Amino acid sequence: MSPAAQPAKLKPPSPPKRSLIGWARELPDMVWHSVFRNPLPSNDVERSATSFTNFFLHIHPVKVHRNTLRPTYTFGLGLMSFFLFVILVVTGILLMFYYVPSTEQAYDRMLDLRGSVAFGTLLRNMHRWSAHGMVALVFLHMCRVFFTGSYKKPREFNWVLGVVLMLLTFGMSFTGYLLPWDQLAFWAITVGAAIAGYAPFIGNDVRFLLLGDANVGQEALLRFYVLHVAVLPAILTLLIAIHFWRIRKDGGLSRPPEPESEAPPLQMSAAAGAPVAVSVKAVQLEPRKTYGLQGLVRGPLTKVGNIPDNSVFSWPHLLMAELFTFVVTLSVILVLSLFFNAPLEEPVNVMHPPNPAKAPWYFLGLQEMVSYSAFWGGVGIPTLFVIGLMLIPYMDRSPKGVGVWFSRDRLLANTAFLTFVVVNVILVIIGTLFRGPNWAFVTPW
Amino acid sequence: MNLKSKSSMNTEAAAVGSRRRFLGWLTSLGLAGSGVLTAFSNFVFIKPRATYGDPQRFSVGKPEDFPAGSRMTLETRRICVVREGDKLAAISTTCTHLGCIIGLSETGFACPCHGSRFDQDGNVTGGPAPRPLPWYKVTLAPNGEIEVDKDQEVEQGTYINV
Repeated sequence: MSPAAQPAKLKPPSPPKRSLIGWARELPDMVWHSVFRNPLPSNDVERSATSFTNFFLHIHPVKVHRNTLRPTYTFGLGLMSFFLFVILVVTGILLMFYYVPSTEQAYDRMLDLRGSVAFGTLLRNMHRWSAHGMVALVFLHMCRVFFTGSYKKPREFNWVLGVVLMLLTFGMSFTGYLLPWDQLAFWAITVGAAIAGYAPFIGNDVRFLLLGDANVGQEALLRFYVLHVAVLPAILTLLIAIHFWRIRKDGGLSRPPEPESEAPPLQMSAAAGAPVAVSVKAVQLEPRKTYGLQGLVRGPLTKVGNIPDNSVFSWPHLLMAELFTFVVTLSVILVLSLFFNAPLEEPVNVMHPPNPAKAPWYFLGLQEMVSYSAFWGGVGIPTLFVIGLMLIPYMDRSPKGVGVWFSRDRLLANTAFLTFVVVNVILVIIGTLFRGPNWAFVTPW
Repeated sequence: MNLKSKSSMNTEAAAVGSRRRFLGWLTSLGLAGSGVLTAFSNFVFIKPRATYGDPQRFSVGKPEDFPAGSRMTLETRRICVVREGDKLAAISTTCTHLGCIIGLSETGFACPCHGSRFDQDGNVTGGPAPRPLPWYKVTLAPNGEIEVDKDQEVEQGTYINV
């Protein structure tokens, strides 16, 4: 940003008042202005300055493309996933005040949360439903990014980061599943850890490292707890920050290419007050020239001045959209948590597995595949899926079809991905509804 | 500096450049090496040397506790002690599919989770289990008790005489 972003009207400092009362009267104003550098913006310069100088707002660009704010373009899925993560962190930290990762106490603590802790049930419900929601929304967010072709250059690496974030989300869910120490938890993790054991060469070591013992027990509970409340959230937070940072550095959210006529390359006007625009192709850097910060900004176009383009100020447009998304997310979770209680089954009985012993729903596709072949279903095919997902932006290098849903140019890619999605959903549905005792085929009606 | 000729300055600059590059490489190598060692030692740290759970090697009692022809499951130990005449062996009752505890059935063993079935010797006769049930090493301790070591698998059909 240029110096133009500085506050327009700076009052000359008034001479300090002598009397104590005068000082006390000025104190609130002084503190307020020391915290908030800008008044609530009433013009474009102040709108820029507000986004630019506020720590919590400076993650946003000063201006944002109109397409980014189109609700039907993103459906706010990524942002909702993030807000669910925030809700999970807050409720999770609160739950930590009462939880003890011990096989003797964990289940009793669950009962205490339900019976004697104020808001205990509500917080546990919120944590559980947000966790389920986050898994679902992260997956839907990935589908949105794919079907709009948004993983293409220059956003390839952010797609890879997104895949890693999805795996970490699964990891958070998986580790959190054990903590209530009920029958569901114990057997789901027994099954899940056994699946990990099928990995070639390292499988048994991975399983042993994860469980800290030969079987699921106290060591596993402690390890899963540490992973769940410290290790994975730290990694997740760092990668989310990079994920967001890359959105900015890769030129904002993807959008369809602008028609040429709308962005005049150079427009100079001598008329007073008329917009002055200079457009620079930032990619055409010359090695021997000295550049200011503006010259290094990536992206196809660096705009200076107030040229007519398809962008709006982040304050208030983007912020309102984000606030709206947050309120919707929180409301849905609250309503769900008020009406539906998170399940808690019988305490662990290592002698009697429930029949069938089912993993969480989002792993049931995996379990369904495992019932055909433990290695291929549990390790081989999922690994190939993940590698395939990560390689997508490097395989599909055509620049066409970015920024629109189901572009005609991407018929093959979209069909292939849709097939992948549908197969996964069908496997999850079969595993959830159509499998009964001994994993035999049953009908839910 | 100003006394030296231009060519000697260039040579010196080149020497400084290559020395810096060399030191740069050395530094990177040292840092990367330390990073790898740190990661490795962390893995060594989190891999327990002693486990706190049930021991893998334990005594299951005297041979008299297992009458001839009996097949007795010890659920907490997750084994089945098989005695045929004077021969005795221990077969795992952890399903080789996904780790559920299997029970005795008329034809051998059956898993309640995903329907795997095994014969008397632990061979898979149905269901998704990929491997037969392992047999564990059994020894007769000097005090006459039977010791089972779940860390040591033995070939199917290996009995000890009691």
